[in-house]
Amino acid sequence: MTEEAASIDLEVLRYRPGEQARLENFSVVVAAGAKVLDALDTIWATQDHSLMFRRACHHSSCGACAMRINGRERLACITAMADAAQEHHPIRVEPLHNLPVVGDLVVDVAGFFARMTASDLVITRTAEPELPVSVDRLPPPLRLRQVVVAEDLGRFTRFESCIECGICVSVCPSMAADDGFLGPAALAGIHRTREATRDPMESAHLLALADGDGGVWRCHSSFECTASCPQAVDPAGRIMSLRGQIVSRRWGRLWRR
Amino acid sequence: MAEEMASGRRRPTRWLDLRGRHEGAWAYALNRLTGIGLVAYLYVHLGVLSLLAHGPSTWNSFLATSKAPFFTALDALVLLGVLFHSLNGIRLGLTGVGAAVRWHQLLLRSLMALAVVLFLVAGLLWSIRG
Repeated sequence: MTEEAASIDLEVLRYRPGEQARLENFSVVVAAGAKVLDALDTIWATQDHSLMFRRACHHSSCGACAMRINGRERLACITAMADAAQEHHPIRVEPLHNLPVVGDLVVDVAGFFARMTASDLVITRTAEPELPVSVDRLPPPLRLRQVVVAEDLGRFTRFESCIECGICVSVCPSMAADDGFLGPAALAGIHRTREATRDPMESAHLLALADGDGGVWRCHSSFECTASCPQAVDPAGRIMSLRGQIVSRRWGRLWRR
Repeated sequence: MAEEMASGRRRPTRWLDLRGRHEGAWAYALNRLTGIGLVAYLYVHLGVLSLLAHGPSTWNSFLATSKAPFFTALDALVLLGVLFHSLNGIRLGLTGVGAAVRWHQLLLRSLMALAVVLFLVAGLLWSIRG
């Protein structure tokens, strides 16, 4: 099956440190089913080798291609050119907000990951060894089915879904105003790690971290992180859940006095 | 702008940039704006009350002026601000301690519908009383 190619216009934010940011227009011919990332790949390959952008998996698993497309934070690898072109002409592509821009569409994610590990715990990809069913031991035809039906899997997979794309940081109005805020992804990570641990000391430490400076009380409840998360991690729900646990603990202490 | 981009430092007004944002961010920005507006109104209100110290004629003169449509429109704006800020505050208070988080959108829409109803009732009462 062949897809009909079409020429689509984009305006891409160009920036280098020390220079003024500007929008540069490009026209690219892409297949009908092409994604915005395909267009950026085409621009890089055929028109401008200096265009800076990140990409890796091309199927929304790595989070590398998170950017602002027509003013909304999205993954370029799953945003259809046709849909984006209908929204705005030309399609506007910009880097994420609230993170330093290295160049063009590339942001410095060092601060983002530093926040993610603020709890001194590895909070991503640690749950697999604890899964009730070891996927590797299953015969291939059963693997997918067994993983899906594994008891209590949902408890492990919700934050495992986080692809660390930084979209929640870009959309968060509290992050926009407050450098000290840990941010939605890091707090969701603390919540998720707390769910997984069976150590009461570790659990208390994590709750204290969430309750501390830069923690859950700096969130202003816009729920924008949850609304924009491409993986339905629900960071805002987790922040509110942490708040609920902190309030319950304080309330309990009040009555025990 | 270049410096802001390189440092990741935020513009103080970025929270007001609502392009592409969802209703939660709109509620957040409106809550801030109405909060600032209501604090400003408090000082205006205290300033107006201080006219009482200047005697009955000054006060009566202000009362006559305050019946102009412009002041009525300002009163309506203050009422809208109070309704939004207080009712949205209920939502924030509940979700802020982990209650009704799953229904925060429904809560916002329901409370805003209530704000509209209360505003219309207030308008009706105002028109009846003249």
